[in-house]
Amino acid sequence: MQQIFDDIRSDFRYDHELNGCLNCGICTATCPSAHFYDYSPREIVQLLWTENVEQVYDVMQEKIWACAQCMTCAARCPFKNSPGGLVAIMREVAIKHGMQSAKDVLRPFGRVMLKLITTGNQLSPDMIQPDHFPDWGPNIQKVEGDLKILRKAIPVKTLQTVDTAWEVSLKTSVEMYTIWEMTGVLKSLEMMDENLFDVIEDFIDEKKEDYEDWLEEQGDD
Amino acid sequence: MKPTDNTPGNHNMTADGAGPGAMKPGFHNTDGQGIAGHGSFFQQADLSREEAVKATDWVRKHVDRRTVDLGDRMDDIREHMWELEREGEIIVHRITDVHKPATVKTLFGWEKKIPTNQLWHHKSCGQCGNIPGYPTSLLWVMNNLGMVPGKDYLDETDQTSCTAWNYHGSGIGNVESLAAVFLRNFHQAYVSGKQHGFEAGHFFPLVHCGTSFGNYKEIRKYLIESAELREKVKKILGKLGRLVDGKLVIPEEIVHYSEWVHVMRNRIASELQKIDVSNIRTTTHVACHYYKMVHEDAVYDPDVLGGNRTAIITSLSQALGAQVIDYSTWYDCCGFGFRHIISEREFTRSFTMDRKIKVARQEANADVLLANDTGCVTTMDKNQWIGKSHEQNYSVPIMADIQFAALACGADPFKIVQLQWHASPCEDLVEKMGISWDSAKARFQEYLKEVEQGNIDYLYNPELAYGGAK
Ligand code: SF4
Ligand code: SF4
Repeated sequence: MQQIFDDIRSDFRYDHELNGCLNCGICTATCPSAHFYDYSPREIVQLLWTENVEQVYDVMQEKIWACAQCMTCAARCPFKNSPGGLVAIMREVAIKHGMQSAKDVLRPFGRVMLKLITTGNQLSPDMIQPDHFPDWGPNIQKVEGDLKILRKAIPVKTLQTVDTAWEVSLKTSVEMYTIWEMTGVLKSLEMMDENLFDVIEDFIDEKKEDYEDWLEEQGDD
Repeated sequence: MKPTDNTPGNHNMTADGAGPGAMKPGFHNTDGQGIAGHGSFFQQADLSREEAVKATDWVRKHVDRRTVDLGDRMDDIREHMWELEREGEIIVHRITDVHKPATVKTLFGWEKKIPTNQLWHHKSCGQCGNIPGYPTSLLWVMNNLGMVPGKDYLDETDQTSCTAWNYHGSGIGNVESLAAVFLRNFHQAYVSGKQHGFEAGHFFPLVHCGTSFGNYKEIRKYLIESAELREKVKKILGKLGRLVDGKLVIPEEIVHYSEWVHVMRNRIASELQKIDVSNIRTTTHVACHYYKMVHEDAVYDPDVLGGNRTAIITSLSQALGAQVIDYSTWYDCCGFGFRHIISEREFTRSFTMDRKIKVARQEANADVLLANDTGCVTTMDKNQWIGKSHEQNYSVPIMADIQFAALACGADPFKIVQLQWHASPCEDLVEKMGISWDSAKARFQEYLKEVEQGNIDYLYNPELAYGGAK
């Protein structure tokens, strides 16, 4: 528990985001999540500031995931605190320590994560279909038609894609994998969701091979 | 040492941390640079280590960290960027005369250069997958202003998203990965002109997404403040072959597309506008990550709502001659929440209905709600239908500022503005602007048959902007 707290406050951003607190509650007054959850950015700041290690651990079990990361609090706080920024640090630390709250929250994010890590894109047209989002209504598109053709009708060639938001070159994706590896992102992912990690790892290996082949082909020319 | 013996972060209060230059570079620093919130007037006290400890103890006991000077003006990070460049640490991707910059004022009264030409389109992963009419409209407007694709702007496949949506949503990722992605993409922007025979720096990045914009500014600040972070990402960028003369490339400004629209608004209105929109009531929703993250950099103009709101979007509505209507929840977030829109949609839709759609309809009786970010447009566009189940029968068309501008300039609502991807009732707005929705739709359905045959119209010769390894 102590280690978790120490990790939070040793993050280099900590001093940027926490400067003291007037307890004025302006952050909570403007916080969208405070409208809907038992959540208050003021509470987060006060807890960190008063160094109550146990309660910090408690809020990391659930509450920090309520934050919408809009940073309204940061723009409003007279003390230049950023409760949302502190939450971002706490989430990273929750992941680092493999906390259950982080695993629970990440589960529905799997598909997005897969897209992002493997293609460097996040939301693709094939994800935005009525069966994935029934609450978006029966006609989330105004023209009936095959998705592929509808995408081809976009007059920007890089956007004529279905399973990525735009066409991403292979070289770009492979560079992306190097970044994920060197910054420990893949390691965090492995701890959070082993199955997802395995799928992603296979995908990355395959793409890397494709890239090697492509490079060789270029060399042959 | 017990943690309670120290202040949070362990940076300021120990003998180790108290001496000049003894701290991590850049963070509440004691080396007189004043970049982490101290003004440039901040001076070193030159205390001995003992004196410093004594003084620090006094502060801890009496004042602690509640002493933050509220009147303290933040330092302009860009000045420190120039210093780093002088010291040979980084290369600044400059905005020069060839980029035909316009100068605007930011919240703190600082000047910001907005390049208007030779732009590298940095797309948005949510927007392109979901509301493609917003990049399309932007390119269409650029073409119609006479900009030449492949020379005056570039749209290429060698770019990734900023990955900040994922970071804010899931917590997976870290400052280092975000910084590496930022530097990778912006290095590519810097060298992208080469394949077309231009000098390095020819194209300047134009960021389409609010979150990318906020994230990149935040990350740039950390990079400039922290030698440690620079050192770490240099290794990565080196491995990727994305250093120039062994140095990191950092852009002079981070520029959002709606800032480009803001400075081009009068040209758009005078040279391209075809439709009188004086009967249209517009309201504005500006992305949180546009003006609340690194808020000192957001654009304000005293002539736009008295400078009480960030100028973008509203200024465009004004220039086009629409009726600009303010509303009480202008400052509120849309409810996107990064992870919420995917895994806790009841939060997202409740917030967007209660705080945005209902208010825009009831208070402003808006014909359209204009936004400048992927997440906001998606959230407010897609989540109206479900309102009916809670007897919230409110609906308002949602689109990006540039889509509205393109419509006002006579762009086709389907082929160019791509309104067919929107769930909100855009039909009413289009009709009110005097454009027939039905005949445009019929034309588009005919066009889809052409597309099936492979006869596709492009906004430009795609090969020009289709570089990058495949
Ligand atoms: S960033 Fe989080 S804590 Fe801050 S106002 Fe937004 S939802 Fe609330
Ligand atoms: S707005 Fe700032 S000072 Fe006020 S309660 Fe929130 S964190 Fe504390």
